Amino acid sequence: MRNFYLKTFQRDSRVYLSRSSSFLGPIVFFLITITLYPLAFGSDEEQLAELAAGIIWISILLANLLSHQFIFNEDYKDGSLDLVLTSGKSLFLWASIKIFVNWYFSSLPLIFLSIFTSFMLYLPFDAALILAITLFLGTPILSMFGALAGALTLERGNIVGSSIVIPLCLPALILGILAIQSYENEEVFFYIFLLAAFLFFSIPILIASCLGAIKLHFE
Amino acid sequence: MRQLFSQLISFPYFFKLAQISFPYIFIISIFVILLGVLWGVFFSPPDATQGEVYRIIYIHVPAASVAQSIYYTMVVASISYLIWRIKMASVFMISMAPLGALFTFLALFTGAVWGQPTWGTWWVWDARLTSTLILLILYLAIISLFSSFDRRDSTDQAVSIIVLIGGINLPIIKLSVEWWNTLHQSASITLSGSSIDNEMLIPLLISILGFYIYVTAIGMRRMQIEIIKREISHNWVKTIFQEKR
Repeated sequence: MRNFYLKTFQRDSRVYLSRSSSFLGPIVFFLITITLYPLAFGSDEEQLAELAAGIIWISILLANLLSHQFIFNEDYKDGSLDLVLTSGKSLFLWASIKIFVNWYFSSLPLIFLSIFTSFMLYLPFDAALILAITLFLGTPILSMFGALAGALTLERGNIVGSSIVIPLCLPALILGILAIQSYENEEVFFYIFLLAAFLFFSIPILIASCLGAIKLHFE
Repeated sequence: MRQLFSQLISFPYFFKLAQISFPYIFIISIFVILLGVLWGVFFSPPDATQGEVYRIIYIHVPAASVAQSIYYTMVVASISYLIWRIKMASVFMISMAPLGALFTFLALFTGAVWGQPTWGTWWVWDARLTSTLILLILYLAIISLFSSFDRRDSTDQAVSIIVLIGGINLPIIKLSVEWWNTLHQSASITLSGSSIDNEMLIPLLISILGFYIYVTAIGMRRMQIEIIKREISHNWVKTIFQEKR
Protein backbone atom coordinates (compact mmCIF):
# COMPACT_ATOMS: atom_id res chain seq x y z
CA MET A 1 0.00 0.00 0.00
CA ARG A 2 2.63 2.53 1.00
CA ASN A 3 4.56 1.71 -2.07
CA PHE A 4 1.88 3.12 -4.31
CA TYR A 5 1.98 6.57 -2.70
CA LEU A 6 5.76 6.61 -2.57
CA LYS A 7 5.88 5.74 -6.24
CA THR A 8 3.38 8.46 -7.11
CA PHE A 9 5.65 10.89 -5.30
CA GLN A 10 8.79 9.69 -7.06
CA ARG A 11 7.20 9.54 -10.47
CA ASP A 12 5.71 13.01 -10.27
CA SER A 13 8.98 14.44 -9.00
CA ARG A 14 10.84 12.87 -11.91
CA VAL A 15 8.34 14.26 -14.37
CA TYR A 16 8.86 17.75 -12.98
CA LEU A 17 12.63 17.46 -12.95
CA SER A 18 12.85 16.07 -16.45
CA ARG A 19 10.76 18.79 -18.02
CA SER A 20 12.32 22.21 -17.68
CA SER A 21 9.14 23.96 -18.77
CA SER A 22 7.12 22.73 -15.81
CA PHE A 23 9.31 24.17 -13.10
CA LEU A 24 11.04 26.96 -15.02
CA GLY A 25 7.75 28.21 -16.47
CA PRO A 26 6.40 29.67 -13.23
CA ILE A 27 9.81 31.14 -12.36
CA VAL A 28 10.11 32.92 -15.68
CA PHE A 29 6.52 34.12 -15.43
CA PHE A 30 7.10 35.38 -11.89
CA LEU A 31 10.31 37.23 -12.73
CA ILE A 32 8.92 38.88 -15.84
CA THR A 33 5.78 40.01 -13.98
CA ILE A 34 7.91 41.47 -11.19
CA THR A 35 9.95 43.34 -13.80
CA LEU A 36 6.84 44.73 -15.45
CA TYR A 37 5.73 46.66 -12.36
CA PRO A 38 8.74 48.99 -12.00
CA LEU A 39 8.68 49.49 -15.77
CA ALA A 40 5.04 50.52 -15.60
CA PHE A 41 5.02 52.50 -12.34
CA GLY A 42 8.50 53.99 -12.43
CA SER A 43 11.49 53.20 -10.27
CA ASP A 44 10.66 55.53 -7.39
CA GLU A 45 12.01 53.83 -4.28
CA GLU A 46 9.31 54.79 -1.78
CA GLN A 47 6.46 54.03 -4.13
CA LEU A 48 7.88 50.61 -5.00
CA ALA A 49 8.45 49.78 -1.33
CA GLU A 50 4.81 50.56 -0.68
CA LEU A 51 3.62 48.40 -3.55
CA ALA A 52 6.18 45.60 -3.15
CA ALA A 53 4.15 43.17 -1.05
CA GLY A 54 1.14 43.45 -3.33
CA ILE A 55 3.25 43.10 -6.47
CA ILE A 56 4.88 39.90 -5.24
CA TRP A 57 1.64 38.38 -3.98
CA ILE A 58 -0.25 39.12 -7.20
CA SER A 59 2.58 37.77 -9.36
CA ILE A 60 2.73 34.57 -7.33
CA LEU A 61 -1.03 34.17 -7.42
CA LEU A 62 -1.13 34.48 -11.20
CA ALA A 63 1.93 32.27 -11.72
CA ASN A 64 0.37 29.64 -9.49
CA LEU A 65 -3.02 29.56 -11.09
CA LEU A 66 -1.54 29.34 -14.56
CA SER A 67 0.76 26.45 -13.73
CA HIS A 68 -1.39 24.36 -11.42
CA GLN A 69 -4.07 23.78 -14.00
CA PHE A 70 -2.22 20.76 -15.28
CA ILE A 71 -1.78 18.71 -12.12
CA PHE A 72 -4.26 16.04 -13.18
CA ASN A 73 -4.32 16.80 -16.87
CA GLU A 74 -1.62 14.40 -18.09
CA ASP A 75 -2.83 11.51 -15.98
CA TYR A 76 -6.21 12.07 -17.51
CA LYS A 77 -4.88 12.10 -21.05
CA ASP A 78 -2.75 8.95 -20.79
CA GLY A 79 -5.48 7.07 -18.93
CA SER A 80 -3.67 6.45 -15.66
CA LEU A 81 -6.24 8.52 -13.80
CA ASP A 82 -8.78 5.90 -14.74
CA LEU A 83 -6.67 3.14 -13.19
CA VAL A 84 -6.05 5.09 -9.98
CA LEU A 85 -9.77 5.74 -9.57
CA THR A 86 -10.61 2.05 -9.89
CA SER A 87 -7.64 0.82 -7.83
CA GLY A 88 -9.34 1.28 -4.45
CA LYS A 89 -6.41 3.20 -2.98
CA SER A 90 -6.98 6.26 -0.82
CA LEU A 91 -7.65 8.92 -3.40
CA PHE A 92 -7.41 11.66 -0.80
CA LEU A 93 -3.81 10.79 -0.01
CA TRP A 94 -3.01 10.34 -3.68
CA ALA A 95 -4.39 13.78 -4.61
CA SER A 96 -2.62 15.38 -1.64
CA ILE A 97 0.69 13.93 -2.81
CA LYS A 98 0.18 15.14 -6.34
CA ILE A 99 -0.69 18.64 -5.15
CA PHE A 100 2.24 18.64 -2.73
CA VAL A 101 4.72 17.68 -5.43
CA ASN A 102 3.34 20.40 -7.63
CA TRP A 103 3.65 22.93 -4.82
CA TYR A 104 7.18 21.75 -4.06
CA PHE A 105 8.40 22.26 -7.59
CA SER A 106 6.50 25.35 -8.66
CA SER A 107 5.77 27.36 -5.51
CA LEU A 108 8.74 26.72 -3.26
CA PRO A 109 11.26 28.16 -5.74
CA LEU A 110 9.04 31.22 -6.04
CA ILE A 111 8.99 31.70 -2.27
CA PHE A 112 12.80 31.74 -2.16
CA LEU A 113 12.92 34.01 -5.17
CA SER A 114 10.41 36.35 -3.57
CA ILE A 115 12.90 37.14 -0.80
CA PHE A 116 15.40 38.33 -3.39
CA THR A 117 12.82 40.21 -5.41
CA SER A 118 11.55 41.91 -2.27
CA PHE A 119 15.01 43.47 -1.89
CA MET A 120 14.86 44.55 -5.49
CA LEU A 121 11.57 46.28 -4.70
CA TYR A 122 13.04 47.94 -1.55
CA LEU A 123 10.83 46.07 0.91
CA PRO A 124 12.28 46.29 4.47
CA PHE A 125 13.94 43.10 5.70
CA ASP A 126 11.42 42.38 8.49
CA ALA A 127 8.55 42.79 6.08
CA ALA A 128 10.30 40.45 3.64
CA LEU A 129 10.44 37.78 6.35
CA ILE A 130 6.73 38.17 7.04
CA LEU A 131 6.15 38.02 3.30
CA ALA A 132 7.98 34.68 3.14
CA ILE A 133 5.91 33.32 6.03
CA THR A 134 2.62 34.41 4.50
CA LEU A 135 3.68 32.90 1.19
CA PHE A 136 4.52 29.62 2.92
CA LEU A 137 1.00 29.52 4.33
CA GLY A 138 -0.72 31.02 1.33
CA THR A 139 0.73 29.22 -1.67
CA PRO A 140 -0.61 25.77 -0.66
CA ILE A 141 -4.08 27.34 -0.67
CA LEU A 142 -3.46 28.68 -4.16
CA SER A 143 -2.13 25.28 -5.25
CA MET A 144 -5.25 23.55 -4.03
CA PHE A 145 -7.53 26.06 -5.71
CA GLY A 146 -5.47 25.71 -8.88
CA ALA A 147 -5.82 21.94 -8.66
CA LEU A 148 -9.57 22.35 -8.28
CA ALA A 149 -9.67 24.57 -11.36
CA GLY A 150 -7.62 22.04 -13.29
CA ALA A 151 -9.79 19.15 -12.13
CA LEU A 152 -12.95 20.96 -13.14
CA THR A 153 -11.77 21.67 -16.66
CA LEU A 154 -9.78 18.50 -17.36
CA GLU A 155 -11.00 18.12 -20.91
CA ARG A 156 -10.38 21.65 -22.05
CA GLY A 157 -7.77 23.01 -19.67
CA ASN A 158 -8.92 26.50 -20.55
CA ILE A 159 -8.72 29.87 -18.88
CA VAL A 160 -12.23 29.50 -17.45
CA GLY A 161 -10.91 27.35 -14.61
CA SER A 162 -8.43 29.94 -13.38
CA SER A 163 -10.87 32.80 -13.55
CA ILE A 164 -13.35 30.82 -11.47
CA VAL A 165 -10.99 30.22 -8.60
CA ILE A 166 -9.30 33.62 -8.39
CA PRO A 167 -12.22 35.24 -6.53
CA LEU A 168 -12.20 32.29 -4.13
CA CYS A 169 -8.50 32.79 -3.32
CA LEU A 170 -9.00 36.41 -2.29
CA PRO A 171 -8.99 35.83 1.51
CA ALA A 172 -5.48 34.38 1.24
CA LEU A 173 -4.27 37.43 -0.67
CA ILE A 174 -5.96 39.93 1.64
CA LEU A 175 -4.76 38.26 4.84
CA GLY A 176 -1.23 37.95 3.47
CA ILE A 177 -1.08 41.61 2.48
CA LEU A 178 -2.60 42.74 5.80
CA ALA A 179 0.02 40.74 7.69
CA ILE A 180 2.85 42.35 5.73
CA GLN A 181 1.42 45.84 6.11
CA SER A 182 1.23 45.47 9.88
CA TYR A 183 4.67 43.89 10.21
CA GLU A 184 5.75 46.47 12.77
CA ASN A 185 3.05 45.85 15.37
CA GLU A 186 1.54 42.83 17.04
CA GLU A 187 -1.45 42.48 14.76
CA VAL A 188 0.79 40.63 12.36
CA PHE A 189 0.33 37.42 14.38
CA PHE A 190 -3.42 37.80 14.21
CA TYR A 191 -3.37 37.82 10.42
CA ILE A 192 -0.76 35.07 10.15
CA PHE A 193 -2.80 32.80 12.42
CA LEU A 194 -5.92 33.58 10.42
CA LEU A 195 -4.09 32.67 7.24
CA ALA A 196 -2.96 29.42 8.83
CA ALA A 197 -6.53 28.74 9.91
CA PHE A 198 -7.73 29.36 6.37
CA LEU A 199 -5.09 26.93 5.09
CA PHE A 200 -5.99 24.09 7.44
CA PHE A 201 -9.68 24.74 6.91
CA SER A 202 -9.26 24.51 3.13
CA ILE A 203 -7.19 21.32 3.01
CA PRO A 204 -9.99 18.77 3.58
CA ILE A 205 -12.66 20.76 1.74
CA LEU A 206 -10.63 21.58 -1.33
CA ILE A 207 -9.01 18.18 -1.80
CA ALA A 208 -12.35 16.46 -1.38
CA SER A 209 -13.93 18.74 -3.95
CA CYS A 210 -10.95 18.17 -6.27
CA LEU A 211 -11.74 14.46 -6.14
CA GLY A 212 -15.41 15.16 -6.74
CA ALA A 213 -14.48 17.26 -9.76
CA ILE A 214 -12.22 14.53 -11.13
CA LYS A 215 -14.83 11.84 -10.69
CA LEU A 216 -17.42 13.74 -12.66
CA HIS A 217 -15.36 13.17 -15.79
CA PHE A 218 -15.74 9.43 -15.40
CA GLU A 219 -19.39 9.02 -14.48
CA MET B 1 -45.25 16.79 3.32
CA ARG B 2 -42.82 14.28 1.88
CA GLN B 3 -45.19 13.54 -0.94
CA LEU B 4 -45.66 17.22 -1.69
CA PHE B 5 -41.90 17.65 -1.88
CA SER B 6 -41.41 14.70 -4.19
CA GLN B 7 -44.14 16.08 -6.43
CA LEU B 8 -42.50 19.50 -6.50
CA ILE B 9 -39.18 18.11 -7.65
CA SER B 10 -40.70 16.09 -10.47
CA PHE B 11 -40.35 17.95 -13.75
CA PRO B 12 -43.88 17.54 -15.23
CA TYR B 13 -45.63 18.43 -11.98
CA PHE B 14 -43.52 21.51 -11.38
CA PHE B 15 -43.92 22.59 -14.98
CA LYS B 16 -47.71 22.48 -14.77
CA LEU B 17 -47.75 24.20 -11.38
CA ALA B 18 -45.49 26.97 -12.67
CA GLN B 19 -47.54 27.28 -15.83
CA ILE B 20 -50.71 27.89 -13.82
CA SER B 21 -49.28 30.07 -11.07
CA PHE B 22 -46.80 32.20 -13.02
CA PRO B 23 -49.23 34.91 -14.25
CA TYR B 24 -50.67 35.45 -10.78
CA ILE B 25 -47.32 35.63 -9.00
CA PHE B 26 -45.93 37.92 -11.70
CA ILE B 27 -48.85 40.35 -11.54
CA ILE B 28 -48.77 40.35 -7.72
CA SER B 29 -45.03 41.07 -7.76
CA ILE B 30 -45.41 44.01 -10.20
CA PHE B 31 -48.22 45.37 -8.05
CA VAL B 32 -46.24 45.07 -4.80
CA ILE B 33 -43.08 46.59 -6.31
CA LEU B 34 -45.08 49.50 -7.72
CA LEU B 35 -46.78 49.99 -4.36
CA GLY B 36 -43.48 49.99 -2.47
CA VAL B 37 -41.53 52.15 -4.92
CA LEU B 38 -44.30 54.67 -5.61
CA TRP B 39 -45.05 55.01 -1.91
CA GLY B 40 -41.37 55.46 -1.23
CA VAL B 41 -40.81 57.97 -4.01
CA PHE B 42 -43.93 60.13 -3.64
CA PHE B 43 -45.29 59.78 -0.13
CA SER B 44 -42.45 59.14 2.32
CA PRO B 45 -40.65 62.13 3.84
CA PRO B 46 -37.26 63.31 2.51
CA ASP B 47 -34.18 62.29 4.46
CA ALA B 48 -32.80 64.74 7.02
CA THR B 49 -29.24 64.72 5.69
CA GLN B 50 -29.49 63.37 2.16
CA GLY B 51 -32.70 65.08 1.02
CA GLU B 52 -34.51 63.53 -1.92
CA VAL B 53 -31.54 61.58 -3.23
CA TYR B 54 -31.94 58.78 -0.72
CA ARG B 55 -35.08 57.55 -2.50
CA ILE B 56 -33.02 55.25 -4.69
CA ILE B 57 -32.84 53.12 -1.56
CA TYR B 58 -36.20 51.64 -2.61
CA ILE B 59 -34.45 49.91 -5.51
CA HIS B 60 -30.89 49.64 -4.21
CA VAL B 61 -31.55 47.78 -0.97
CA PRO B 62 -34.06 45.26 -2.39
CA ALA B 63 -31.73 44.49 -5.30
CA ALA B 64 -28.75 43.97 -3.01
CA SER B 65 -30.79 41.83 -0.65
CA VAL B 66 -32.16 39.66 -3.47
CA ALA B 67 -28.71 39.33 -5.04
CA GLN B 68 -27.28 37.82 -1.86
CA SER B 69 -30.30 35.68 -1.07
CA ILE B 70 -30.17 34.07 -4.50
CA TYR B 71 -26.61 32.96 -3.81
CA TYR B 72 -27.52 31.40 -0.49
CA THR B 73 -30.50 29.56 -1.97
CA MET B 74 -28.15 28.32 -4.69
CA VAL B 75 -25.84 26.97 -1.98
CA VAL B 76 -28.75 25.05 -0.46
CA ALA B 77 -29.61 23.73 -3.93
CA SER B 78 -26.01 22.68 -4.56
CA ILE B 79 -25.92 20.72 -1.31
CA SER B 80 -29.16 18.95 -2.16
CA TYR B 81 -27.83 18.17 -5.62
CA LEU B 82 -24.53 16.79 -4.35
CA ILE B 83 -26.12 14.67 -1.62
CA TRP B 84 -29.48 13.54 -2.99
CA ARG B 85 -28.91 14.05 -6.72
CA ILE B 86 -32.10 16.07 -7.02
CA LYS B 87 -32.15 17.17 -10.64
CA MET B 88 -34.49 20.02 -9.88
CA ALA B 89 -31.78 21.52 -7.68
CA SER B 90 -29.40 21.81 -10.62
CA VAL B 91 -32.17 23.28 -12.78
CA PHE B 92 -32.67 25.81 -9.99
CA MET B 93 -28.97 26.75 -9.82
CA ILE B 94 -28.60 27.13 -13.55
CA SER B 95 -31.75 29.23 -13.85
CA MET B 96 -31.02 31.47 -10.89
CA ALA B 97 -27.36 32.30 -11.48
CA PRO B 98 -28.02 34.79 -14.33
CA LEU B 99 -30.77 36.40 -12.24
CA GLY B 100 -28.35 36.73 -9.35
CA ALA B 101 -25.77 38.34 -11.62
CA LEU B 102 -28.42 40.74 -12.92
CA PHE B 103 -29.54 41.85 -9.46
CA THR B 104 -25.96 42.17 -8.23
CA PHE B 105 -25.26 44.42 -11.17
CA LEU B 106 -28.42 46.42 -10.45
CA ALA B 107 -27.34 46.83 -6.81
CA LEU B 108 -23.88 48.03 -7.88
CA PHE B 109 -25.31 50.36 -10.50
CA THR B 110 -27.90 51.98 -8.25
CA GLY B 111 -25.24 52.17 -5.55
CA ALA B 112 -22.98 54.09 -7.92
CA VAL B 113 -25.80 56.46 -8.85
CA TRP B 114 -26.52 56.98 -5.15
CA GLY B 115 -22.87 57.36 -4.23
CA GLN B 116 -22.20 60.14 -6.74
CA PRO B 117 -24.28 62.85 -4.96
CA THR B 118 -23.77 61.60 -1.39
CA TRP B 119 -20.15 60.42 -1.27
CA GLY B 120 -19.08 62.53 -4.24
CA THR B 121 -17.79 59.56 -6.23
CA TRP B 122 -19.21 56.77 -8.33
CA TRP B 123 -17.11 54.07 -6.77
CA VAL B 124 -15.05 53.58 -3.62
CA TRP B 125 -13.05 50.52 -2.65
CA ASP B 126 -15.12 49.99 0.43
CA ALA B 127 -15.70 46.61 2.05
CA ARG B 128 -19.28 46.08 1.05
CA LEU B 129 -18.89 47.39 -2.48
CA THR B 130 -15.87 45.20 -2.99
CA SER B 131 -17.53 42.07 -1.70
CA THR B 132 -20.57 42.77 -3.88
CA LEU B 133 -18.25 43.14 -6.86
CA ILE B 134 -16.67 39.81 -5.97
CA LEU B 135 -20.15 38.30 -5.76
CA LEU B 136 -20.84 39.58 -9.27
CA ILE B 137 -17.57 38.08 -10.53
CA LEU B 138 -18.45 34.80 -8.85
CA TYR B 139 -21.85 34.74 -10.53
CA LEU B 140 -20.27 35.45 -13.91
CA ALA B 141 -17.65 32.74 -13.34
CA ILE B 142 -20.40 30.24 -12.52
CA ILE B 143 -22.28 31.23 -15.67
CA SER B 144 -19.10 30.78 -17.70
CA LEU B 145 -18.90 27.19 -16.41
CA PHE B 146 -22.25 26.33 -18.00
CA SER B 147 -20.78 25.77 -21.43
CA SER B 148 -17.43 24.22 -20.57
CA PHE B 149 -18.63 20.62 -20.46
CA ASP B 150 -20.10 18.40 -23.09
CA ARG B 151 -22.31 16.38 -20.79
CA ARG B 152 -25.23 17.72 -18.81
CA ASP B 153 -24.37 15.81 -15.60
CA SER B 154 -20.80 17.07 -15.56
CA THR B 155 -21.97 20.65 -15.90
CA ASP B 156 -24.45 20.23 -13.07
CA GLN B 157 -21.90 18.70 -10.79
CA ALA B 158 -19.17 21.19 -11.61
CA VAL B 159 -21.55 24.09 -11.04
CA SER B 160 -22.71 22.70 -7.72
CA ILE B 161 -19.14 22.11 -6.52
CA ILE B 162 -18.17 25.68 -7.34
CA VAL B 163 -21.37 27.10 -5.84
CA LEU B 164 -20.75 25.14 -2.64
CA ILE B 165 -17.09 26.15 -2.34
CA GLY B 166 -18.11 29.73 -3.07
CA GLY B 167 -20.81 29.51 -0.41
CA ILE B 168 -18.32 28.34 2.20
CA ASN B 169 -15.90 30.98 1.05
CA LEU B 170 -18.22 33.96 0.74
CA PRO B 171 -18.46 34.72 4.50
CA ILE B 172 -14.67 34.42 4.73
CA ILE B 173 -14.23 36.79 1.79
CA LYS B 174 -16.66 39.22 3.40
CA LEU B 175 -14.83 39.16 6.73
CA SER B 176 -11.41 39.58 5.19
CA VAL B 177 -12.59 42.39 2.96
CA GLU B 178 -14.09 44.09 6.01
CA TRP B 179 -10.77 43.96 7.82
CA TRP B 180 -9.24 45.36 4.70
CA ASN B 181 -11.38 48.49 4.50
CA THR B 182 -14.67 49.89 5.66
CA LEU B 183 -16.61 53.07 4.88
CA HIS B 184 -20.18 51.98 4.12
CA GLN B 185 -22.86 52.62 6.72
CA SER B 186 -23.45 49.52 8.78
CA ALA B 187 -26.59 47.48 8.18
CA SER B 188 -29.64 49.57 9.05
CA ILE B 189 -32.16 46.75 9.26
CA THR B 190 -31.37 43.84 11.56
CA LEU B 191 -33.60 41.25 13.16
CA SER B 192 -33.49 43.09 16.50
CA GLY B 193 -34.66 46.42 15.16
CA SER B 194 -34.15 49.16 12.66
CA SER B 195 -32.56 52.60 12.63
CA ILE B 196 -34.82 53.79 9.82
CA ASP B 197 -37.98 55.75 10.53
CA ASN B 198 -41.17 53.75 10.09
CA GLU B 199 -42.49 56.00 7.35
CA MET B 200 -39.49 55.07 5.23
CA LEU B 201 -39.14 51.54 6.50
CA ILE B 202 -42.61 50.29 5.55
CA PRO B 203 -42.38 51.15 1.83
CA LEU B 204 -38.83 49.77 1.83
CA LEU B 205 -39.99 46.47 3.28
CA ILE B 206 -42.87 46.33 0.79
CA SER B 207 -40.43 46.96 -2.03
CA ILE B 208 -38.09 44.22 -0.75
CA LEU B 209 -41.03 41.82 -0.57
CA GLY B 210 -42.04 42.78 -4.11
CA PHE B 211 -38.53 42.09 -5.42
CA TYR B 212 -38.55 38.67 -3.79
CA ILE B 213 -41.91 37.78 -5.33
CA TYR B 214 -40.69 39.05 -8.70
CA VAL B 215 -37.57 36.87 -8.51
CA THR B 216 -39.77 33.91 -7.59
CA ALA B 217 -41.93 34.47 -10.65
CA ILE B 218 -39.09 35.03 -13.11
CA GLY B 219 -37.11 32.19 -11.55
CA MET B 220 -40.04 29.83 -12.07
CA ARG B 221 -40.27 30.91 -15.68
CA ARG B 222 -36.56 30.38 -16.25
CA MET B 223 -36.76 26.97 -14.59
CA GLN B 224 -39.58 26.02 -16.94
CA ILE B 225 -37.41 26.93 -19.93
CA GLU B 226 -34.48 24.96 -18.52
CA ILE B 227 -36.73 21.95 -17.92
CA ILE B 228 -37.99 22.03 -21.50
CA LYS B 229 -34.41 22.22 -22.76
CA ARG B 230 -33.51 19.09 -20.82
CA GLU B 231 -36.65 17.07 -21.39
CA ILE B 232 -37.28 18.04 -24.99
CA SER B 233 -37.31 14.43 -26.13
CA HIS B 234 -39.74 13.25 -23.46
CA ASN B 235 -43.33 12.57 -24.21
CA TRP B 236 -44.88 14.86 -21.62
CA VAL B 237 -43.20 17.90 -23.17
CA LYS B 238 -44.43 16.90 -26.61
CA THR B 239 -48.00 16.48 -25.39
CA ILE B 240 -47.96 19.91 -23.77
CA PHE B 241 -46.94 21.57 -27.00
CA GLN B 242 -49.39 19.55 -29.02
CA GLU B 243 -52.19 20.65 -26.68
CA LYS B 244 -51.18 24.26 -27.30
CA ARG B 245 -51.55 23.81 -31.01
